[in-house]
Amino acid sequence: MVMIRANGLGLHVQRLRPPHRRPDATVVFVHGAFIDSLASYYFTLGPRFAEAGFDAVMYDLRGHGRSERPPSGYALEDFTADLDALLDELGIAHPVHLVGNSFGGTVALDFVVHRPERVATVTVVESGPASRAWSHTMTSALRHAGDMGDDEALVWFTEQYGTLSSTRTGDARHDAHIRRLGRAAARLVRATTIAEDMPTGRVLTDEQLGGVRCPVLLVNGQEGLVAAESARLRSLLAHCRVAVVPGQKHSVLVEASDAVGRLALDWVREHAGAAPEPSGPGPVR
Amino acid sequence: MTTSERPPGPVPLAPPDEEQVLAEIAGLIVEVLGDYAPDPADIRPETLFGDDLELESIDLVMLSGHLQERYGEQVNFAEFVASLEIDEVIALSVGRLVDHVLHSLGTAPEAGAARWS
Repeated sequence: MVMIRANGLGLHVQRLRPPHRRPDATVVFVHGAFIDSLASYYFTLGPRFAEAGFDAVMYDLRGHGRSERPPSGYALEDFTADLDALLDELGIAHPVHLVGNSFGGTVALDFVVHRPERVATVTVVESGPASRAWSHTMTSALRHAGDMGDDEALVWFTEQYGTLSSTRTGDARHDAHIRRLGRAAARLVRATTIAEDMPTGRVLTDEQLGGVRCPVLLVNGQEGLVAAESARLRSLLAHCRVAVVPGQKHSVLVEASDAVGRLALDWVREHAGAAPEPSGPGPVR
Repeated sequence: MTTSERPPGPVPLAPPDEEQVLAEIAGLIVEVLGDYAPDPADIRPETLFGDDLELESIDLVMLSGHLQERYGEQVNFAEFVASLEIDEVIALSVGRLVDHVLHSLGTAPEAGAARWS
């Protein structure tokens, strides 16, 4: 396990570096909040990009996975500062391709607005920018989460995540899986100020989004949460494409990773210049 | 020295058998789970990573690293998990991983990969 000290925190990083990678072709994957970790990429898009010749950097957000969990400091700008510092610590000076899922997409969009020189392309999966409407939604959703007891928080998160999945519900094993995710989210909320910090972080204005020059791909589940926001974002961004994965909900990255991987890889290749050298049969580490 | 007492290290010339790989994987699972780990003897082929061991997906990432350290590049757990449907990952058993390791090391019987769901 590799821990990198960045922005004053230990961040858990997994990096897949193919032996014959294209120079300066780095993809950085940013996962979602509460139930998510870099595992969502480690078993899906990470190996796929590495096999295609890209340096694949996956990391656990603060408080998540195996990264350090500070008691406070969970506003959007904290996550953006972590990513900025992580790239410094990894010695990555060239612009990177960012892939962000759910809240990770919100981080990616905040990052490209504030550090545009560090970003080549952005792929946003089931997400949008931090806006006043987003902040309001988050405030309503998380208002009571921090005050809940263990059981109550578990039930609440379980209900939330149950509605985001397009795999069958009612199956005992799947329900148990959702409960485990809910329990992990409840632990995070109980141990930190994330429920208060996240909705009160900075938001992006339409003018800021209109100033984004790099290409942005929005990948949504057909029955996901962000169709309206994607339409708004598309009208603001200079270079934006929307792709919809049929039959999928918010959890499209994990539940239809082949489709999302194809879309993301095609998008990055399209904007990364010449096709990367194939990695060959060698290891991808 | 018996094979079960062999210290960790490169894969030996004599290929490991099923019991040996099961014991090694049980040891790696205990390492990943730390304080929450069960007795390794209680980890059997039919033990489920989710329902029984309550491993989170990030724990599987840790396990993947340990597997690679133990068995080398021949065993690519990330690729193996990536090849499964989400329902199969949720229902993954220790026995299926044992089969995958044996298969990757070239020591599995033909039907090995399909014995455990």
